[in-house]
Amino acid sequence: METLQYAIRKLIYAIPLLFGVTFLSFILMVHFGPDLTYSILPKSATQEQIEEIRAELGYDLPFLQRYGKFMKEVVTLDFGSSTSSGEKVSSILKKAVPVSFLVALPAFILANLLGILLALYAANHRGRFPDKAVMVLAAIGMSISYLMVVIAFQLIFCTSYGLNWFPVQGWVEPPPDYPDATAGEIFYYYWYYYWSYVAVPTLASIFVALGYNTRFFRAVIVEELNRDYVRTARAYGVRNRKIMMKHVLKNAMIPISTRIIITLPFVVIAGNLVVEKFFGIPGVGLVTYDAITNGDLPIVKAVVTCTAVLYVLALILTDIVYKIIDPRISYSK
Amino acid sequence: MSEEEVIVGRESLWTKSGRKLLRDRAGVAAMVVVGIYGIIALLVSFGVIAQDWDKLGEEGFEGMSAAHWFGTNINGQDIFARALQGIKTAFQVGVVVAISATAIGGILGAIAGYFHRTIVDEVIMWIYGCIDAIPFYLFVAAVAFALKGAEFTVPVLDLHISLAPYAMHIAMIATFWSSTCRIVRGEVIKIRGLEYIQAAKAIGVGPLTIIRRHVMPNTSHLLLVQSTIAFVGAIKSEVILTFLGLGVKEGVSWGIMLSESINDVLRGHMGNFLGASGFLFVLVIAFNMFADALQDALDPKKVSG
Repeated sequence: METLQYAIRKLIYAIPLLFGVTFLSFILMVHFGPDLTYSILPKSATQEQIEEIRAELGYDLPFLQRYGKFMKEVVTLDFGSSTSSGEKVSSILKKAVPVSFLVALPAFILANLLGILLALYAANHRGRFPDKAVMVLAAIGMSISYLMVVIAFQLIFCTSYGLNWFPVQGWVEPPPDYPDATAGEIFYYYWYYYWSYVAVPTLASIFVALGYNTRFFRAVIVEELNRDYVRTARAYGVRNRKIMMKHVLKNAMIPISTRIIITLPFVVIAGNLVVEKFFGIPGVGLVTYDAITNGDLPIVKAVVTCTAVLYVLALILTDIVYKIIDPRISYSK
Repeated sequence: MSEEEVIVGRESLWTKSGRKLLRDRAGVAAMVVVGIYGIIALLVSFGVIAQDWDKLGEEGFEGMSAAHWFGTNINGQDIFARALQGIKTAFQVGVVVAISATAIGGILGAIAGYFHRTIVDEVIMWIYGCIDAIPFYLFVAAVAFALKGAEFTVPVLDLHISLAPYAMHIAMIATFWSSTCRIVRGEVIKIRGLEYIQAAKAIGVGPLTIIRRHVMPNTSHLLLVQSTIAFVGAIKSEVILTFLGLGVKEGVSWGIMLSESINDVLRGHMGNFLGASGFLFVLVIAFNMFADALQDALDPKKVSG
């Protein structure tokens, strides 16, 4: 009951934030945004046609009514049609979101998992050589630009100057239509091509994220190691492995999982602009990139607003989940 | 700790931290590297070196030579001179963004922290909460949309400055201030409970004067560290944003060089890639190390250790 109350209160507190992010998107992209009238109309449009399209886009409405119209788009998830291809924005995104998800997921899981393992290893040898080595590597990883990594990895893994193991660019095509292909063969086809296109982007993303992750996770674990209960446990002669795994890691999981959960909407919806553009993967990132370069406002509007709203919802969700798993958290805190 | 370091007389946090920073060998080395970059940036800005960066040569993709240290790019332009010009661009972006973002974050953070648990605090937290919810690259894109065709008009001089080329700077400042604000706010919430602030209140000093004279100077060590972090963030973001077509459009920057190099490397010409990424990597790692050393040196809890 108390948890429910807490959840409702959190949701109420999110309302100003949801209002704020939608309002900010509205101000930047609709109110001050580009005038789309002439990119929709044919070249020799009559005055009536101009009036008509302006009324349809809502340019003749007062500020608050335009904001209302925008909010209706957000709530119904209907952002109109792309100005460059004419396709519905919702159907474009419906195709792109799963692709981004598939591309981002392996890197996301591995970068966090490896980050935690390296951080545990470093924290366990705090101040000694292994710790210093891991932290120096993390600092180097943090200092390399994403763009440098993708260029270098493509060169190493995808071209004849390097190993030439993977295709340079592209994404899985539907399998050729063999009438007697078994389900297993089709599955193998998808599996094979999925990894051949996703392997290098995954390696690059892990390489870039690992430094930041390790540093953050190590700081959290070291802070936990300095607590009194760790000393008490050591005084009782509890073995180091048990202290690290059962007590320290378990307590450190709260800040660690917050970080993981709140980055999830960015990974899934915003996609990864750099990787998808660079490797030609038709996910949300590439769709957004094309929309930015073509000035395709409805798509950018949809992506920005959806990501921001999902981020706020993820924040609330983490709060509520913690309330359930960690009895120490109370509203007053 | 040796005996000579027993502190004699009064010593401020700054001199103490300065001594600590100078003892940190990695920190000093990083500081020297950043200093060299800074001097090059100044020399380039004042037209002493690397002025022929946009001079077209006769032959593209030359190898390394005495005339062209890193070879030439597709247009026969000298890559080394372009990389040096890139230092100037990087410092321009970094310094403008770091100073503005830290100043805004510092002031708003101090106000929010001082007026903790009032509507002022809630509003400031609400603003940065909203900005943090929008992914950075998309935010820059949104700002670029908003500033397309926007002009800043200086009223008296009748000057019209187009804002579109500065969309990147504006967006970076608009997002980078939030982390500074959060940190300063937390520190000020601690400071405002201290006796000297209560004493100032008791003798009738106004809240804005207290914030300006007594609260903000005590957050300057945080601002220093935050500005180094913002500097590195700005330089790294410039590269990505330029690649995405949202960043530097005029002149030359490491982002432009790396974007050009994408096609070069597939044809086996590494000059652009190695030149730009080498300079970028060394500057960023030196600045990161400097920021770490600074943070350790300024942390009062660690000064004694």
